[in-house]
Amino acid sequence: MAAVQDSAVAVGAGAKARPAAQGRLAAIWTKHGAGYMFLLPWLVGFFALTLGPAVASFYLSFTNFDLIRSAEWVGTANYVRIATADPKFAASLKVTIVYVVLSVPFKLAFALLVAILLNRGIKGLTFYRAIFYLPSLLGGSVAIAVLWRQLFAGDGLVNSLLAQFGIEGPSWISHPDYSIWTLVVLSVWQFGSPMIIFLAGLRQIPTDMYEAASLDGASKFRQFYKITLPLLTPVIFFNAVVQTIEAFKAFTPAFIISGGTGGPINSTLFYTLYLYQEAFGNFRMGYASALAWILVLIIGLFTAFSFLTSRYWVHYDD
Amino acid sequence: MTDATISTVTAPPPATISGRSPLSSTLIHAALIAASIAMLYPLLWMVSASVRPEDEIFSSTSLWPSSVDFASYVRGWFGLDVSFGRFTWNSLVIAVLTVIGNVIACSLAAYAFARLRFAGRNFWFAIMLGTMMIPYHVTLIPQYVLFLDLGWVNTILPLVVPKFLASDAFFIFLMVQFFRGIPRELDEAAMMDGCGAWRIYWKIMLPLSLPVLATAAIFSFIWTWDDFFGPLIYLNDMNTYTIQLGLRTFVDSSSTSDWGGLFAMSTLSLVPVFFFFLFFQRLLIEGIATTGMKR
Amino acid sequence: MRMTRRSVLAGGAALLSYSMLASSALSQEARLRVLWWGSQARADRTNKVNQLFQSENPGVSTNGEFLGWSDYWPRLATQVAGRNAPDIIQMDYRYIVEYARRGALAPLDDYLGSVLKVEDFDKVQIEGGSVDGKLYGVSLGANSAAMMVNTVAFEEAGVDLPTPETTWDDMARIGAEITKAGKRKGFYGIADGSGVEPLFENWLRQRGKALFTKDGKIAYDANDAADWFAMWAAMREAQACVPPDIQALDQYTVETSPLSLGKAAASYAHSNQFVAYQGVNKDKLALNNFPLISKDAKGGHYRKPSMFFSVSAQAKDPELGAKYVNFFVKDPKAAEILGVERGVPESAAVREQLAPTLDELGRAMLDYVSGLGALAGALPPPPPSGAGEAEFALRTVAEQVSFGQLDAKQGGETLVNEVSQILSRG
Repeated sequence: MAAVQDSAVAVGAGAKARPAAQGRLAAIWTKHGAGYMFLLPWLVGFFALTLGPAVASFYLSFTNFDLIRSAEWVGTANYVRIATADPKFAASLKVTIVYVVLSVPFKLAFALLVAILLNRGIKGLTFYRAIFYLPSLLGGSVAIAVLWRQLFAGDGLVNSLLAQFGIEGPSWISHPDYSIWTLVVLSVWQFGSPMIIFLAGLRQIPTDMYEAASLDGASKFRQFYKITLPLLTPVIFFNAVVQTIEAFKAFTPAFIISGGTGGPINSTLFYTLYLYQEAFGNFRMGYASALAWILVLIIGLFTAFSFLTSRYWVHYDD
Repeated sequence: MTDATISTVTAPPPATISGRSPLSSTLIHAALIAASIAMLYPLLWMVSASVRPEDEIFSSTSLWPSSVDFASYVRGWFGLDVSFGRFTWNSLVIAVLTVIGNVIACSLAAYAFARLRFAGRNFWFAIMLGTMMIPYHVTLIPQYVLFLDLGWVNTILPLVVPKFLASDAFFIFLMVQFFRGIPRELDEAAMMDGCGAWRIYWKIMLPLSLPVLATAAIFSFIWTWDDFFGPLIYLNDMNTYTIQLGLRTFVDSSSTSDWGGLFAMSTLSLVPVFFFFLFFQRLLIEGIATTGMKR
Repeated sequence: MRMTRRSVLAGGAALLSYSMLASSALSQEARLRVLWWGSQARADRTNKVNQLFQSENPGVSTNGEFLGWSDYWPRLATQVAGRNAPDIIQMDYRYIVEYARRGALAPLDDYLGSVLKVEDFDKVQIEGGSVDGKLYGVSLGANSAAMMVNTVAFEEAGVDLPTPETTWDDMARIGAEITKAGKRKGFYGIADGSGVEPLFENWLRQRGKALFTKDGKIAYDANDAADWFAMWAAMREAQACVPPDIQALDQYTVETSPLSLGKAAASYAHSNQFVAYQGVNKDKLALNNFPLISKDAKGGHYRKPSMFFSVSAQAKDPELGAKYVNFFVKDPKAAEILGVERGVPESAAVREQLAPTLDELGRAMLDYVSGLGALAGALPPPPPSGAGEAEFALRTVAEQVSFGQLDAKQGGETLVNEVSQILSRG
């Protein structure tokens, strides 16, 4: 993955300046040691806490582990079943992809728009920022399930508003054609995190660049296109990648709003919700592990693709 | 340029774009206020549900309760075996430790990925991103067994120690993206002055990254505050429960639930996070001071 | 190839040779960990009984943990998988087979008559806790499926309350009348029960069928299921029940039922949930049995254990566990504390002791369960592995029919196909 381009010239230059007599080891240390020193906490955590469980779950994906009895090796049976005989796998993957495609662009566009509005030094900035972040404070609280019913059930607020225009809406949250949209709205409603990240990104753009552009007579629109957007691309890239990964893995929204069922008619059966049902509801942890690794593969391919294309549009200052 | 000049650069005013007409300003405010109301309505409903009679919560969609009664707050706070003050304290301890752990450990790793050259850097970076992709439900049981063998179950260690080992790849990736936005000439200048990697990290990277560090602190705090699955699995004794576990104890879908208590305590539980947010978002603004410097 | 879970993990754990740190703190006194789901009200009662048990058994300490239903199962599964299971586990009728067959529970037969003195239990209820001929759970209370009826809504609409003799034909007519009366906004006669498994089972049993056979196969055919869906389609057509998008709000929990949401005058639940339903409903509720397929139909209902206490197979001292369970269901002082909160007690002596002390709601529950008479038949065999998935399938297919994706006949075929597949996978 060409994530981090080799451009740390400075550290390497220091190494060259030293006399060769200090030996190869010292040279290797100077060249690579600092990096590993800084990486040490992460490496320890990775090897001690993350790798073991990950390898274990990969192994379990080739077994019939049922949570209680010892796991028995079943070869690729779980993967074969996923590929050939599991309609719920296809259904849940479809729901998830629809969710990713709908929620991520809307959420990011909304977050970016609000961040730009809020970055203009208007009065009450702190107030608005706090208000807009409030929904995100609720996270996946149980209260959300009830709140969302109040909004999107047949007699909820949304339909009361629509009634003003003579439209009689269905019970959005419990209709198989629309329920996924209520989850998309929930995701967009909680746009606080990408908004804050965008704001932080905007803050990092040096104001003197705008001043110079203003002096050159560039319009605000032009300034936005020529300065703000390019300098913001690393942050946009980050938000897009991370939000997509999170959306693929989304669990809590569907879990609390559908009461863990993924209904009606599997219309909100997110991939990880199905995985959870298999693991803890139907005692098929082995099968669920196989599902999980298929998801890792899908997300991994998507992320690799994002990084490959990023070199064409993401502008790094280094 | 040396460290000293960096830290004493004075702040220009926020990125105000001058000469905006009053009309467009009014329009922006109107749009923002309309958006605020849409944002707030569900929360207002929650507050209203916390003071209304229990048998009205599910059958009424009106924002105004037929009568106002704060009994839910008293019942919610004292109604469980352990008071909500205890849960709040537990949540605070975990959240604050998480903030510290994430900010320190993730910024170290992020600095390595963003600035240092070492063999296998791209490999480790890809692995690090990979750890974000595994659904936690399938690593849960192996991890539980691991922590059980360590004797950490029923303590906050499984929730806190991983943070000091940069287990949250999200924050590493976030910081990498921001560190790479810091002009490299600064490092190079410092290098000329004989600064090592550690000093560059400490004297240049961190001070110049206040916005992203504040962001990481805010998210760490809030996400820890809202997390329930980790505490659900690792904290068994009610005295060690966090707020979210406490909240869920109000609800048993198979028998009686205390919905008034749930909404009252949900409302209260927003207060500490909200103040934490208000406090740390000031750092976001102060961040301008350092990033608005001459290049 | 056979490998244990722990050996898989050994690699990760051994890296830092953590085993040195593993806790091995064993105290001298016997400690019982008890885990149950429920509300704080249930916890208050349970904790008091635990105190009592401790004071009568010096040297024994108890440690209670409780959670809401939906959080309970992942924590239990994780603890069992991690070999850190609580000693006493509250079990549900649906899951006892899953846990017992996998060897997570200790058989209690050896303690019958010695520390476990349940002679005055209903024989059937003891069988209810048995899997493959061994006793794995002691029933904490009996309940039965029941219709919760909003008496005020019936009165407003000028319709008589349902009686034990009410048939499905009556119910369809009554439902349509309530909807037509239009006394409340967006209010309908009854909840759409086409996806409610206990209701379907009750209807099947009246027909002489069942959900599952003894050997865990499907016990009804596509025609039965098609008739069932057709009956509901007709009621939907006549607006006797709520429309599908309102019914789909129902997650089969107390607060999401059309009754509690103020959408319907009757809904389907279990008798031991009566107090909970009344708690979130303003109007006075009543319990009634499910409607009959004909005036002289019987045997649809059955008294089933509302929940069990099981002893973990990992318990250090299963006999002590059995002793605790016995104390819980038999001790008069414990019974006084527990009341009928977990259902109607199984012990005849305890029932007698409690009867005069009950409040109105408790009384109604007791009367309902013990007054079913011929309406109640034999306890069906414990649900097979995959029963949870089968219940899910019923619900999904019922929604497909109600939202018009399938007709009743297709629905019947789809359901039987899916359930058969699920059961054969196990």
